[in-house]
Amino acid sequence: MLGLMTVDSAGDLAPPAPASKEELLVRVARGDRSAFGELYDQIAPRVLGLVKRLLVDHAQSEEVTQEIFLEIWQSATRYESTRGGASTWILTMAHRRAVDRIRSSQAGRDRDTKIGIRDLAVAYDHVAETVEVRIEHERVEKAMNRLTQLQRQAVSLAYYGGFSHSEVADMLQIPLGTVKTRLRDGLIRLRDELGVAS
Amino acid sequence: MSRSSEQHPADLAGAYALHALDADDMVIFEAHLAESEEARIEAAELKDIAVALGLAVAPVQPSAAVKANLMAMLSSTPQLPPLPASRATSLAAMDAAATDPGATPAGSPAATATPGTEGAASTGATTTGAPRPVPDVHSGDASSTPRPATASERAQTRWFKRPAQFILSIAAAVALFVGGISLGQSLNSNQFESQQAASLAQINAANDSQRAATTTVDGQEVTLVWSNTLGISALLVDNLPVLPGDQDYQLWYMNNGAATAAGTFDSSGDGTVWRVLDGTMHTGDQVGVTVEPTGGSDQPTGDPIVALQS
Repeated sequence: MLGLMTVDSAGDLAPPAPASKEELLVRVARGDRSAFGELYDQIAPRVLGLVKRLLVDHAQSEEVTQEIFLEIWQSATRYESTRGGASTWILTMAHRRAVDRIRSSQAGRDRDTKIGIRDLAVAYDHVAETVEVRIEHERVEKAMNRLTQLQRQAVSLAYYGGFSHSEVADMLQIPLGTVKTRLRDGLIRLRDELGVAS
Repeated sequence: MSRSSEQHPADLAGAYALHALDADDMVIFEAHLAESEEARIEAAELKDIAVALGLAVAPVQPSAAVKANLMAMLSSTPQLPPLPASRATSLAAMDAAATDPGATPAGSPAATATPGTEGAASTGATTTGAPRPVPDVHSGDASSTPRPATASERAQTRWFKRPAQFILSIAAAVALFVGGISLGQSLNSNQFESQQAASLAQINAANDSQRAATTTVDGQEVTLVWSNTLGISALLVDNLPVLPGDQDYQLWYMNNGAATAAGTFDSSGDGTVWRVLDGTMHTGDQVGVTVEPTGGSDQPTGDPIVALQS
């Protein structure tokens, strides 16, 4: 409740707050298409940003984003707000879908090729960064900088690169067991640095 | 599985939250989750951290067509029925256990990413042989098969690709783009190429990846990508002309008027040629390219065709 009140008071200066993503998901679960459209407008750029970070290719990332939103439409009936926020639910689904796509062979090959000519600036050029995103970015970057180099590399390759832990072990030329522990203690360190997440 | 059994399954919690487990380890970890409330709490917390990493990525606005397509597809895409009561109850119980009451809104995502307790039992039933791509959601499929697959089923389809294949394919991709890097005789070229590819992937995945672009004196587009925390950089050039056989392009790190040789490469004349620089990049280094006698020089002998400030 404390969190909600903080958000409300901060929102006083802004125009009337749009419906929360959680409320929208509940309406989507009842087949409400306008709620779906509103939810899409709120979070699709985040979904595409994340998917594109992993897949690189813009057209393919849009395709996967479309699949993700169809999955949201289909399975909103199974979302329970008591279990966590809508952003968590959606971004987890988005990341898993992007990783799934990388694992499908052709897409993986395409990406391996494209990764060589990836346009790193695109993500920042396409959309003017909101204050919210910049703050979150800086917060995470600061926390990432508290990790050891090996932790940071392993976590980045796994999450932002979409590589499996075996692939990470090959790329960093360290034993798989070490990768597993670095991924875990790296995330635990991030949790401690970030405090309450999402 | 044997390689994992020496370790405690709890070690897999990080890779699980990052969707980086392979099928064997997914089964091991889900069994562990089913047994341990502590593990479920940790899994939910680490999932939130993964989401925080996702929220730090800059948004990208999709083209209008994506939304238009979606809205048009809704009418032909049925929604899944809510989970049956028994399954819902057991999952809810699991998630209730995984949620720290009152503290964080622990985000254990719903059915699609929740460890299914039935997962271990159904393993192997679905994907015994030929690996196939993960099924996509099409409106047609959805109407006939309200799925989703269990986590371990998905894991089986997801992780078929072996690391060796991965290295091979990325090496092939490098060969395609590098178009013949000049190599010292002692270096094994495959090994060199996969090291190059791995380094480039590391730069791209680094949290502090940066990029600068310019053109050569002859107008070819040049991009420098680097990570200061990793201390490595890579240069990409479009349509760089072919050099005579007795010459190579040579890369340099330049700082305070001193040049440090950072490797040589050549170009096939079209497409993008790229090369991860040898040595360590220091904050504020310039990166330059000169044309040198084959094999490179100790110090630049000509004017750079391009120089970029990192």
